Amino acid sequence: MSFLKGVRQGMRNFGHLISVLVNTALLLVVYLLGVGVTSLIARISGKQFLQMKQGKKSYWSDLDLKKRPLEAHYRQF
Amino acid sequence: MYILGLSCYYHDASAALLKDGVIVAAAEEERFTRKKHDTSFPLNAARYCLESQGISINDVHYVGFYEKPFLKFERVLSQHLQMFPLSLKTFLSSMPSWVTEKLRVIRAIRKKLSYQGDVLFIEHHLAHAASAFLVSPFEKAAILTVDGVGEWTTASYGMGEGNEIHLMKEIRFPHSVGLLYSAITAYLGFSVNNSEYKVMGLAAYGTMDREKNPYYKKLRQVIDIRPDGSFCFDMSYFVYHYHDRMPSKNLCDLLGGPVVQKGAEMNERHKDIAAAVQLVMEDILTAMLKHVHKATKSPNLVMAGGVALNSVYNGKILSQTPFKRIWIQPNASDGGTSIGVASYIYNTLLDNPRTWKMDSAYLGPSFSDEEIRSFLDGNKIAYTQFSDETELLEKTAKLIHENQVVGWFQGGMEWGPRALGARSILANPCNPKAKELLNEKVKHREKFRPFAPVVCEDDALTYFDCDVPIPEPADYMLMVYPIKKKWQKKIPSVTHVDGSGRLQTVRRHQNPLYFDLIKKFGELSGIPILINTSFNIRGEPIVCTPYDAYKCMMGTGIDCLVMGTFLIKREENPQDKWDSEKSADD
Repeated sequence: MSFLKGVRQGMRNFGHLISVLVNTALLLVVYLLGVGVTSLIARISGKQFLQMKQGKKSYWSDLDLKKRPLEAHYRQF
Repeated sequence: MYILGLSCYYHDASAALLKDGVIVAAAEEERFTRKKHDTSFPLNAARYCLESQGISINDVHYVGFYEKPFLKFERVLSQHLQMFPLSLKTFLSSMPSWVTEKLRVIRAIRKKLSYQGDVLFIEHHLAHAASAFLVSPFEKAAILTVDGVGEWTTASYGMGEGNEIHLMKEIRFPHSVGLLYSAITAYLGFSVNNSEYKVMGLAAYGTMDREKNPYYKKLRQVIDIRPDGSFCFDMSYFVYHYHDRMPSKNLCDLLGGPVVQKGAEMNERHKDIAAAVQLVMEDILTAMLKHVHKATKSPNLVMAGGVALNSVYNGKILSQTPFKRIWIQPNASDGGTSIGVASYIYNTLLDNPRTWKMDSAYLGPSFSDEEIRSFLDGNKIAYTQFSDETELLEKTAKLIHENQVVGWFQGGMEWGPRALGARSILANPCNPKAKELLNEKVKHREKFRPFAPVVCEDDALTYFDCDVPIPEPADYMLMVYPIKKKWQKKIPSVTHVDGSGRLQTVRRHQNPLYFDLIKKFGELSGIPILINTSFNIRGEPIVCTPYDAYKCMMGTGIDCLVMGTFLIKREENPQDKWDSEKSADD
């Protein structure tokens, strides 16, 4: 019984290892092709995704968050 | 009508249940799973909330979630896009959790809670704002929320009036007071999102003079602070926007050395760095609050967000800004947003008037004497039962006066990070060795960290230089005030190195037994103040159940436990199978 348990545990660990490897490989492709290409295009066109520059008179941004219809809160964005 | 508020997947997962405008139950998931700052879906906390009211999930009209996940994901993607290819490592480590759980909140709620009704999403800082304003005593108040980061917002301000909230302006990621404090916390070798309060305690040992602290000037170079309190970091000093670390090599060079090893002894440089970040944070918040007052013209202020747990600064707000009254959500960090979400849906979105103000924090599980007796008998634990409340108070006060360390387990568990007399360890503050005794027997904390005093509200002004009238946040241990010079030497164990104390004030209607115990101790000692520290082992959440409390006592040096009407002494029970010290960690 303990032998079978060990085999099962080993197979589970092997399965986990495979899923980590596949996930990592897929994510790497997404990162390089998706994020990488978009990022390069953005850099060429001068797009900034995060505001990092100092020198403004004020860093407060308009938010204007107030009561909206209930329906707006069904959205996750 | 029942509304269930939820927060999870970042830190301090929690659930809160609102019934017809009243928060009737709230708890953090960590107390049930026993994992500090547990981020996982708050299934146990939600179950507790429902069971406490004898209802099922089918009776809940709305479930509210404390942020807009897709907006947050947009920010995370923006970080990767901006920082490509430096963000590869965090992309690989963080994306699986986004795909499997963080973007599938509705699915998780439906599956884990078997809930088929409506799920509503409230922006993170709106949830913070609601947790502060809608349950506050004010009809109208300025609102300031400051934390690490929500979706994009790291700080926001606005106005609350009646049952509506208007957040007007924000500071956006990556510029964040909370993350600055966390970066220095990480630099000093402490854990992020956990040990920021240690840096706050350490700061008092450093040079709190802006002219003389060399690191204050250095940190100010890193941040462009405008007169209106808005600010912008030089991001070359930080790496948290693309790495799982926080300070960059530039920051290490600026502060004169590499990141401090975990557990290292704190030297003068470290103390000055802690003081510097506290001073910089105070500069920013004071400028922000002055600006918020100018913009809102309200004498009342409410605050939430993790930075609002900085009790050292909270104690200075009324004297350093034009605000006259203040209220802070006792669970100001992310855990508190579940209350905000539920209240926002009921009061603001469904347009119901506010009828409830948060007046105490005992919203967690409570246990009857029958349940406690059943636990004690079931585990063959030796105990005695007090004949009545008078005997309980007299004997407990006597034990504390005799320098015994007493576990105090009474009523509903506290909401928020502080033990407030429901799950507390109590000791004698007049004993000069109490701090060492508590550290040696129970807490094993860093030597620089002070213990907190608890005092009845009507006695507080005798011993502390508080604002008058004493602000309600002091009831939740959210304000640090100077201890009057005359008393500092008489209560050395709760007097911090700078002469201050992070007091808890108790009003009798909030917790009569606790109030009376303090008074009874005062009759014996001449000083109606106790040491109140959280009932837990280092690295574990505060105890929740009788089992947790008993295990904590037996594994540490707590001398006895007053649980309900029962007195359990450690020396009368076998210790070997309850060695909780083995699990002690940071």
